[in-house]
Amino acid sequence: MESLSDTKWDVVISETGLQHSLLALALSRSDKKVLHVDENEYYGGSEAAFSLQEVDEWVDKLGKSPNSAPFRNATLWKTEETASESSPKLSFSRAYTLTLSPQIIYTKSKLLTQLVSSKVYRQLEFQAVGNWWIYDANGSVLKRLPNGREDIFQDKNIDNKAKRNLMKFLKFVVDYENQTEVWEGHGDTSLNSFLSTKYQFPLHLQTVISALTLSLSPTDDTTVRWALPRIARHLTSIGIFGPGFGAVFPKWGGGAEIAQVACRAGAVGGGVYVLGTGIANVEENGLEDDPEAPAFRLTLSNDEIVGTKLYFRHSEHNSSNDPVVSKAIYIISSPVLSIFKTTVEGSPPAAVSVIAFSPETLRVEGAHQANPIYIMVHSSETGECPVGQCVLYATTLHSAGSKDILAASLKAFLQSIDEKNVTLLYSLYYDQTEDKNSPMDLSFDDKVLEKVEQQWNEVMGGVGGEFMKFGDRKGMEPNDDDNGDNDDY
Amino acid sequence: MASAESLPTLKILMIGPSGSGKSALLIRYCDNQFDNESSTATIGVDFKLKKLSIHKKPYRLNLLDTAGQERFRTLSTSYYRGAHGIILVYDISSRESFNAMERWFEEAENNAMPGAKMYLVGGKLDKEKVGSGRKVEAEEGRGMAEKYGAVGFCEASAKTGEGVRRAFLELVEGIVGDKELMSSGSRRGNIAVSGDGGTGGGCAC
Repeated sequence: MESLSDTKWDVVISETGLQHSLLALALSRSDKKVLHVDENEYYGGSEAAFSLQEVDEWVDKLGKSPNSAPFRNATLWKTEETASESSPKLSFSRAYTLTLSPQIIYTKSKLLTQLVSSKVYRQLEFQAVGNWWIYDANGSVLKRLPNGREDIFQDKNIDNKAKRNLMKFLKFVVDYENQTEVWEGHGDTSLNSFLSTKYQFPLHLQTVISALTLSLSPTDDTTVRWALPRIARHLTSIGIFGPGFGAVFPKWGGGAEIAQVACRAGAVGGGVYVLGTGIANVEENGLEDDPEAPAFRLTLSNDEIVGTKLYFRHSEHNSSNDPVVSKAIYIISSPVLSIFKTTVEGSPPAAVSVIAFSPETLRVEGAHQANPIYIMVHSSETGECPVGQCVLYATTLHSAGSKDILAASLKAFLQSIDEKNVTLLYSLYYDQTEDKNSPMDLSFDDKVLEKVEQQWNEVMGGVGGEFMKFGDRKGMEPNDDDNGDNDDY
Repeated sequence: MASAESLPTLKILMIGPSGSGKSALLIRYCDNQFDNESSTATIGVDFKLKKLSIHKKPYRLNLLDTAGQERFRTLSTSYYRGAHGIILVYDISSRESFNAMERWFEEAENNAMPGAKMYLVGGKLDKEKVGSGRKVEAEEGRGMAEKYGAVGFCEASAKTGEGVRRAFLELVEGIVGDKELMSSGSRRGNIAVSGDGGTGGGCAC
């Protein structure tokens, strides 16, 4: 087998997370020589998706190197396999795909446009993120978030005056870019005080609007400047690909699946893929030695030395000041059909549902829930668990006791759905330090694409044609038909 | 007339060690071509489409090649999603390639959906009598196919065309004979993000 060092690489990309995989996709028609490596034995980096066995290995590895950024404190709990015959059990390892990146993608995101124009969308299956709920501690119930104007008019929880104000606000917010005079002066104040002083929203409505931003920060830190574009995106995304939903989720693990499909596109374009191999060392080649030599000499972790014009490495995340989020993945023994049921005529069945917990709504012994919590509930339609079960992805900003706080949100959720005999089968908890290059966000942030385009431009030297826009590859059209009933083979 | 889009689509994968001739078999079957000069790893083939009628019922085959990702064994789990059938290819003139097949069968079993059909092909049959000749007996191939529950085995040559069609036909017969497999991988509830409205929502089965 020829060795990697025989090739003069145009670019070496390290790490197969979503951003760098999209870069590989962007370069897949460029005729550039691309070497794409990942120190892990799997695709996806910190956006990977795992079978149960792979989670075991991941947790094991983290336990052995507790400071391996960005993940820490991974703890795993599984239901007893020896439990009685009739009690619900986990299925086999590969019946599950648990993702480290349960990010939803708004239908307005450029990511979807680019997955379509780059033709890789055909290898992906998108499902609707349908229903949004907010947990109401009074009576411990889930209340449906309004999914558009019709819902608001029919909402009996909102009185007529508040309805008028809400309609006024919604009309403004979808046009916020043209109405800077309304909000610019309040840009750095908190969203809640803006909603309260400017639109006289009662607290209940403030929390509803705030939940739509998917903000992980405490209420006072969620500014108007940050929140308005997100509320506008939420509202204007509804209906783009069908009634009743404004975001989608790629089946089989979201970002992890996109990363794999993008890497395959990179391979189809001639990119070489090596897993279990990272960049160990980088040296700059002095031009005086050999003007023909590539700019960089990289030593790979398998001791091979490769020359390349450019390289992209994953950023180091180790600043102790970087925000940390706490995440939990729960598998439960119920399909929780009630939360996926749609109220909008003609809307596709939802495979993902969002549950928001406003700050201070859960009482947790020995801890204080100062931050919002979100649970993304994934049905078995996502391909992530067997029929009859659900995977729950809970996220909150890290704080003392955030493991207990997430557990409390699960408990509150299970009480609110009012089903008998729902059992927790599996729970994985971990902390994740925010990576400066891709801020922690529960929805895909289009800024990632700007970074990809910038890196792509760097490789292409500004002459790469249109970003992520490709024609069909040849061989797509069926040639002559095969009549298999002629048995002359 | 039913358009090709509306035909039931079968996803079929090629896997096996580098240089075993996977792409050559695919191109012989789909385009009836053989390029003697081409010995480089596969570049630029994403997937190929072919219409095939079996028992007077037409199907649309979506045939995927490894795109070189078999070289360092970096095929992703997403490659295997929804595959109805997998053609595993070794080179009858290379003992090493045959010895690698156990690991390829295991990878296929681990990643493909339950019930997906496997078919083993001993490729480069034309090399039987040239150069250093055959290194793997047909019986060994048949034995391995049986051991791993493959629906069939044959030897084939992309160069002469011998056996190529048989491999694809027997695999597809195995797939379409399995009602449960045919109904799995439904795309119910999928959202068409391309805006053309053609691909999502409907059922591909």
